Amino acid sequence: MAKVLEPVDTVVVGTGAAGSLMAAVLAEGGKSVVVLERGKARKMEDLYSSQIWARRLKWGSPHVADAGPDSIWFNFNAGHGYGGAAIHHYAVWPRYHEDDFEENSRYGRSLDWPFSYDELRPYYDQVQEEVGMAGDAEKEIWRPPGDPYPLPPVLVSNHGQVLARGFEAMDMHTAPIPMAILTRPYKGRPACIWDGWCDAGCPIGALANPLAIYLPRAQKAGARLQPNAHVTRVMMDKSGKKATGVEYYTPEGEAFIQPAKAVVLCAFTVENSRILLNSADSNHPNGVGNSSETLGRYLMAHPAIGVTGLFDEDMQNYLGATGGQLLSQDMFDKKGDPNGAFGSRQWEIGLALKPNDMLGIGMTRPDIFGAKLEAFMQDGARHMGSMVGVCEDEPLITNRIELSSQKDAFGFPLAKVVYEMSAEGRKLWQTAAKEGVDIFKAAGAREAWHGPPGGQHIMGGTIMGKDPASSVLNGHGQAHDVDNLFVGGPGVFPTSSSINSTFTAKAMAMKSARYMVDNWSALSG
Amino acid sequence: MKITRRSLVDRALKGSLLALTFKVGGASLLLTPAEARAQDVPLQKLSAEQARRLGVLAEGMVPGSEELGVVHFLDHQLNADPNEALLIAKYFQVAPPYLNFYARGLEVANGMSQSATGKSIEELDAAALEQLIASMAPPGTVVEEFPIFLFYLCLRSDAIDVVYGTPDGFARLNVPYMQHIMPPEGWNG
Repeated sequence: MAKVLEPVDTVVVGTGAAGSLMAAVLAEGGKSVVVLERGKARKMEDLYSSQIWARRLKWGSPHVADAGPDSIWFNFNAGHGYGGAAIHHYAVWPRYHEDDFEENSRYGRSLDWPFSYDELRPYYDQVQEEVGMAGDAEKEIWRPPGDPYPLPPVLVSNHGQVLARGFEAMDMHTAPIPMAILTRPYKGRPACIWDGWCDAGCPIGALANPLAIYLPRAQKAGARLQPNAHVTRVMMDKSGKKATGVEYYTPEGEAFIQPAKAVVLCAFTVENSRILLNSADSNHPNGVGNSSETLGRYLMAHPAIGVTGLFDEDMQNYLGATGGQLLSQDMFDKKGDPNGAFGSRQWEIGLALKPNDMLGIGMTRPDIFGAKLEAFMQDGARHMGSMVGVCEDEPLITNRIELSSQKDAFGFPLAKVVYEMSAEGRKLWQTAAKEGVDIFKAAGAREAWHGPPGGQHIMGGTIMGKDPASSVLNGHGQAHDVDNLFVGGPGVFPTSSSINSTFTAKAMAMKSARYMVDNWSALSG
Repeated sequence: MKITRRSLVDRALKGSLLALTFKVGGASLLLTPAEARAQDVPLQKLSAEQARRLGVLAEGMVPGSEELGVVHFLDHQLNADPNEALLIAKYFQVAPPYLNFYARGLEVANGMSQSATGKSIEELDAAALEQLIASMAPPGTVVEEFPIFLFYLCLRSDAIDVVYGTPDGFARLNVPYMQHIMPPEGWNG
């Protein structure tokens, strides 16, 4: 028998990019807030500088099985514990472009968001000011309208300068990469020292992870954080129209009901869908919020490509941020692909390198082993350049999150993922593979190559849309079927663009939270 | 505790990034995997045969990794909660418990060795070991329905971790470590 806790105004599930921000705004708006996190509590001093120890920040269990042809790389993308995935994110924060919101109406492809860029812009501007973003808006010739960045751009070392040569030689533009990393002290937080440990979590708070900004704000405003809370279901009233709270279990198997006037799911793309599917009852036989039968559908991940090369110069590739130094979106035109693919691309240029791990020097040439490896590592440590290409994935209804026949420790079905990279995304990736190597050669690389396709930034599953018959949420992130149920995070995106998802997830979370505070009487009644 | 750069650097000067808590005779000792190997700390998960074969394969992939304790590192982490594990296998969507993956990988690799040479992994000379590893390394290679390439990729990465992923490894490559903070002494991995 689950123990019923004291009711609160809002229960927020998840402490990542969206959950932390929504908790802060709701608590500052005078609501009593409990934030449930399935992982452990974590503090800044737990963020050790090591690619090995950084793996504790990533998902490991319960297992999310890949049941389709391709992987979405869930564990690498997802997070575990306070801060969620955002605790290890790289803070590359360009804005989605205007046409990312209107792909169907402009091009007859893909889907539309239920609102335009103009409607989200104020929230981008607000979040940008609150966290202290660095960049050069004028040099980002592709940037949609927005306030100038509050801080000057990030460091550009030899690494960035050498690779920029290649772009210039191919008549392409670069600009300082817009980042949620402090280049000067800002609102009591120190500036970055360009040590490249972003993936391991930034313990000084220069990078805008949830522990640095929104979780402390939420707590200061009275929100209570509850770690080790495995949320299993959204609880519904008898009418099936109102959420009444959530059920969660401790690791020891003790069950609780947290009653709330409003429920906000920000447990990342896969878990949000899993919780709603597992919440099925007689009123919602296919899962809560699933009258459209699109819950779990339109799962997306950016097809990504790593391009690597060896140069004669000392690249100083250990300096900088993991997400890079420069950006190019010259290839963003959705109808500009030479192979006829629909969709956008971008390059993140000059990623700070470490010897080991997924994005490390050793992994760039997995075919090298034995006696040849040491020479390669020595060469790479001094002379390697690196950039990542990010491609748009088309939202396909066949790509989905489903419940598995396997169950978790509390008897609830696990999630499995059926995903195949879209044909458009695959073609864009192929274009990027050739272009990336050409750029490196133009920059003077003595050797250049690219890696295999990877998946970055998991989106979809609980998409927004104007039509309740074809989407889960409206433009406020509010379930079409349940007025007091909201979802945050990149799972709400109807299109993927080719742009890193965190800034847009934050802006969307701000939009949702402001709506909740401003319309509290109506949605909590 | 307020984190400042100075306090981080001070703490970073202490300890080793790969110091793990090993159980020795009922006591918990903070040791690097290399120290655990040198002290012959009993393995918790791997059999003696598995340990020998893992060590030989890892050394063939990344020279120096056996002496630096890759087997003890793996054995320690195969004992860990999957969410806390430091194994790169989790990034490749390997389903826990990870011991199953490593045990099956060793079985398949040893079968490949037997088929090619009639010998077990630990009996191979350097040239035959190189040949075996080369046969595991092509991307996508599957043997007996097991992704042996993935096993190669993970074990090679584990070995790179212990050789190049520590402050000593960075120093070996003349790469500034520039740490903010290292695991404090007594921190249980």
